[in-house]
Amino acid sequence: MGLTVVPSASPLIRISGLSVAFNGTPALLGIDLTVGAGETLGLVGESGCGKSVTWLAVLGLLPNSATVGGSATLDGRELVGAPASVLERVRGGRVAMIFQDPASALNPVHRIGRQVSEAVTLHRGLSGGAATAEALRLLDEVGIPDARNRMTAYPHEMSGGQNQRVMIATALAGRPELLIADEPTTALDVTIQAQILDLLRRLQREHGMALVLISHDLGVVAEMCERVCVMYAGRIVEEAQAGALFAGPRHPYTTGLMGALPPLTGPRLRLTAIPGRVPEPWAMPPGCAFAPRCPKRIEACDVSVPNLRGEDRRVACIRAAA
Amino acid sequence: MTLLALDSVARGYPMRRGWLGRAVMVHAVDGVSLEVSAGRTLGVVGESGCGKSTTGRLALGLETPDSGTVTFAGAAMPPPGGAAWRALRAQMQLVPQDPLGALDRRLPVARQIAEPLVIHGIGDAGERADRVATLLASVGLRPDQAARHPHALSGGQRQRAVLARALAAGPALLVCDEPVSALDVSIQAQIVNLLTDLQESHGIAMLFISHDLRVVRQVSHEVAVMYLGRVIERGDPDAIFTDPAHPYSRALVAAIPGGSKPHAILAGDPPNPADRPAGCAFHPRCPVVVARCRAETPTLDVRADGRAVACHLARG
Ligand SMILES: Nc1ncnc2c1ncn2[C@@H]1O[C@H](COP(=O)(O)OP(=O)(O)O)[C@@H](O)[C@H]1O
Ligand SMILES: Nc1ncnc2c1ncn2[C@@H]1O[C@H](COP(=O)(O)OP(=O)(O)O)[C@@H](O)[C@H]1O
Ligand SMILES: [Mg+2]
Ligand SMILES: [Mg+2]
Repeated sequence: MGLTVVPSASPLIRISGLSVAFNGTPALLGIDLTVGAGETLGLVGESGCGKSVTWLAVLGLLPNSATVGGSATLDGRELVGAPASVLERVRGGRVAMIFQDPASALNPVHRIGRQVSEAVTLHRGLSGGAATAEALRLLDEVGIPDARNRMTAYPHEMSGGQNQRVMIATALAGRPELLIADEPTTALDVTIQAQILDLLRRLQREHGMALVLISHDLGVVAEMCERVCVMYAGRIVEEAQAGALFAGPRHPYTTGLMGALPPLTGPRLRLTAIPGRVPEPWAMPPGCAFAPRCPKRIEACDVSVPNLRGEDRRVACIRAAA
Repeated sequence: MTLLALDSVARGYPMRRGWLGRAVMVHAVDGVSLEVSAGRTLGVVGESGCGKSTTGRLALGLETPDSGTVTFAGAAMPPPGGAAWRALRAQMQLVPQDPLGALDRRLPVARQIAEPLVIHGIGDAGERADRVATLLASVGLRPDQAARHPHALSGGQRQRAVLARALAAGPALLVCDEPVSALDVSIQAQIVNLLTDLQESHGIAMLFISHDLRVVRQVSHEVAVMYLGRVIERGDPDAIFTDPAHPYSRALVAAIPGGSKPHAILAGDPPNPADRPAGCAFHPRCPVVVARCRAETPTLDVRADGRAVACHLARG
């Protein structure tokens, strides 16, 4: 980790003050983050903290009940509120997204070869034999064994791990500069998870694309990412290079998450569980959202929401050294 | 003292392949022997479909093995549904992964926690109320939370309610089937701590089933690794985690996210239990396979160091 990667002057994606509310109930309360070309950014936090909503908002994939505020730019071009035609070209083109459950993202009644070649046609303008040939190449690239014969298989004839590979092939069809992988291995067995993470690592290396890895699993993020953002209740509470974060977390929530993870070596001590639970979006505490569960809480924590302070290492806690 | 013993139990299910295919037998559990001592925890790990849940149901007597025997507290498991079997429910309880599915949506959880007391005729109304209050305190639920219906509780609170109900009649054994797998890590730690506290204070034995090796290491006194319906390695958790003997255990440990990676990533998909490979069932994925593995099924033998391993190459 040693050297800090200084984000280049113009990041690929810059998100500032991004907020989302569903029917007036806030879900995202102002997110600031950047993704540089080719980098791997991890997004961790417990369910409901806003990891998925952040990227669904950026890509214009939220339902009409959502109100999106703030800004998200791709190479300087605004995506929030952009016309549907612009967003459609970005999605699956420069930015692709894969999800936890490939079986439901794939069309159950279409053969997988057709699904990948349709993506090739849509994003690369190839058709007929050229599209089929490219689909086969992609399925081969993502490690579908005997891809030529598997082209005619339906998703239900494939295992969960293979369907995730097909999803990744579909995502690669548009030669994305950024792949957003939203809990891509959560539904898979650990040995298959290891295969998919290895595949993502290889693809990233070979294509030089940026990867945003959304995960609730600190271990996965520690293994894969250069930089990590920890989210809590709709905000980023800590951001750091992965090595620095895992060596010395500064936000008490990050410390709590690490203490809650059972270790693999050493004596089996009681886990330092975080007491209580995440606040409901309609009953947010007045100050720091983590204060009610925080062992370091002081009165000032309840007064106002702490800012995310710092340069390459950012932390939103008045009790932490930035 | 051995509380629960499974001796060579097997359980198969007929499964039709495709719409027109003929039924084939899925050997979900294929000759499993294991023991749980009073007050101790045996952790069971393995990939989905390897037979962990079926083993748990056999241990609880919720299903009858096709062959082999289940012994609880020295007596053979009575057939499901009879009076002897019902009386045994007070002694052994299931803690499932999905607490919402295990609870009755129409009743406040406090009522459901009292249910086993009513069923087993424990105490009068006043004593039951006291007992429920004690149970709530021991799992960390407030009375106002217990007055709610399941849907008005969080996932962690529901799992606490399920635990309180499981503890109501004072069981000697809990079969925990992925009890924290659906919970966020901070809540998972609360429930894991609670389970170990309850074991300490009540001397409860546990069969703890999980695909999460970190959690299993945290709670277990002994670990059994399953593959395709069989136990392929059994022993002390620290020994298995630092020096797994079976190539499959090695692959599992290597795949733990954020752990050290001394071993290569396992290729191939998890196997189909309806299509069990000949010889050692792991041989098609095994990085160190030799000819003998394709022909001869290794038995689970105890090595000099106390570890039991079913592998021709890991006899130690
Ligand atoms: N379509 C939706 N309608 C209403 N609320 C939503 C919707 N999608 C997400 N939310 C809410 O937004 C919050 C953040 O959700 P999400 O980003 O999915 O969390 P996660 O970090 O688990 O990915 C949660 O409180 C969730 O309930
Ligand atoms: N009631 C059942 N009917 C048919 N097949 C079953 C039944 N229960 C389990 N199986 C099959 O037995 C195998 C083992 O299942 P299970 O014990 O649930 O595994 P695990 O809990 O390790 O995921 C799987 O192939 C599963 O599909
Ligand atoms: Mg999500
Ligand atoms: Mg199961």
